[in-house]
Amino acid sequence: MAERLYNRLLAIRTERGLTQAGLAELVGVSRKTINTVENGIFIPSTLLALKLSRALGRPVEEIFSLEPDE
Amino acid sequence: MANETDFEIADRISRRRARMLPVLGVYFLAGQAVFFRHVGEPERIASFKISAWLVWAVVLLLALAFAGGQFRGAKIRALVEDEVSRANRARGYAAGFWGGCIAAIALYVLTMFEPVGGREAIHIILTATVASALIRFGMLERRALRDG
Repeated sequence: MAERLYNRLLAIRTERGLTQAGLAELVGVSRKTINTVENGIFIPSTLLALKLSRALGRPVEEIFSLEPDE
Repeated sequence: MANETDFEIADRISRRRARMLPVLGVYFLAGQAVFFRHVGEPERIASFKISAWLVWAVVLLLALAFAGGQFRGAKIRALVEDEVSRANRARGYAAGFWGGCIAAIALYVLTMFEPVGGREAIHIILTATVASALIRFGMLERRALRDG
């Protein structure tokens, strides 16, 4: 079965009024990293997922999920 | 450019690398046509071509392994070499492995019909390995940098 990780990063980021570059600076990664995670091209490491969670002030499960949003 | 942040500099370096690597890979591959057109050439010209190819291959291998903010300090280097780039590079290396294997198999089949020298065989396998790794890594980086 093909595994996929869904994320709400784009929605949460825009809700917080952050650009990709702004979030990248908060997390301490490149804009490319945020872009690839948002687009589902790249599955982040646990470390990066936790950093994103901390920067956005949301639990990891709210940002990432195994099922798509309803 | 004077007021660029580390993040902007890293982004610029990543974009430049993503643009350059596939072009270099294709150019390296295409340049091999010249190498094999040396029938009847004086020995010293053939030797020069071989040396030039070897230097080029080593430079490209180093670019594949290390290119990205090498002289810009640890922070920029870390941003350029983030986990996306590391994963893309690993996939590039895998593509290089398969490129080399396919070239080796093709050469093996070719030797059943035509003799191929050891040096030529190494040349073809190394070229296929380096070029496919460079092209794959560069294309993945380009995709990662694409907006939207």
